[in-house]
Amino acid sequence: MKDRRAMDFDDDQRLVSSVLASRPAPDVSPGFLARVNARIDAARDEGWFGLTDFRVWTLRLAPAAAALALIALLWPGTSSAVARTAPSPSTIAAPAAPAPQRFMPSSASDWQRDVTANALLEAALRGSGEGRAR
Amino acid sequence: VDPDRELVEAAAGGSREAFDELVRRHQTAIVSLALVLTSGRGDPEDIAQEVFVRAWRSLHTFRGDSLFRTWLHRVTINVVRTSQTRRGRLMRVFGSFDGEEGPPDQPSGEEPMDTVLARRQVIDSALAALPEDLRTAVTLRDLQGLDYKEIADVLGVSVGTVESRIFRARQKLKPLLAPLLRGR
Repeated sequence: MKDRRAMDFDDDQRLVSSVLASRPAPDVSPGFLARVNARIDAARDEGWFGLTDFRVWTLRLAPAAAALALIALLWPGTSSAVARTAPSPSTIAAPAAPAPQRFMPSSASDWQRDVTANALLEAALRGSGEGRAR
Repeated sequence: VDPDRELVEAAAGGSREAFDELVRRHQTAIVSLALVLTSGRGDPEDIAQEVFVRAWRSLHTFRGDSLFRTWLHRVTINVVRTSQTRRGRLMRVFGSFDGEEGPPDQPSGEEPMDTVLARRQVIDSALAALPEDLRTAVTLRDLQGLDYKEIADVLGVSVGTVESRIFRARQKLKPLLAPLLRGR
């Protein structure tokens, strides 16, 4: 059986509880729901605004970039057009054998073992003369 | 059984109409809770709106382990805490805000105590005088009508802690609520 003090405590607790429970609820303004919906919509729009972030762009555009690269490779005629406008690597790596020349360029004569000093001087003089003639 | 279950499921599936109904059902309770927890500092409707926006965004994370009402109260407490932290930082930088209401004033003896506003002012003023942990616990119990288990879930503490906080809160409130206790 509870003693008197404990019962007083219980009464106090109940009394305070009943006063708190009687607190009138505040009035919510009539436009509350509309403002909640507006904020939800605004938050969604902010999500789209986030697309201006370059990190989002680079990530989201990666599949599109890959698709464009694939189309460029597989598109009929694209590779032949490239071949027409630029030399292929093999053309650069393996030039056709040089045709026999009537005059040896002065620079080429520098690398020949059997060239004499006179021949070298003659080639140099002829080379400078060719340059002036052009 | 959660009375909001069907609406919550529909809203989680994207139904704005269902969510609107949930807002209508709980808006008064959430505004009231925000009003008490902020002790008159800040706009309780603004906080309540933020609660519902967060609820809409995170509805897919609500697993139904508790009542929707309980979950919503937890969201409210988190929003209030975030708001108070932000406000505290601003206060440290800029000082007090102009036009801030502050805790509700104790009405003078001449005011009629039977008016709705005066009654609410006395109660809000008394609650504002409590430490935050006691105020939150007793508010959830006596104003919001949550049971002890729900409050323990909301606050993340044991039921025993909830009982202790509510008991101490009511003890502290008794002298502060004296103007309203006289006629009882």
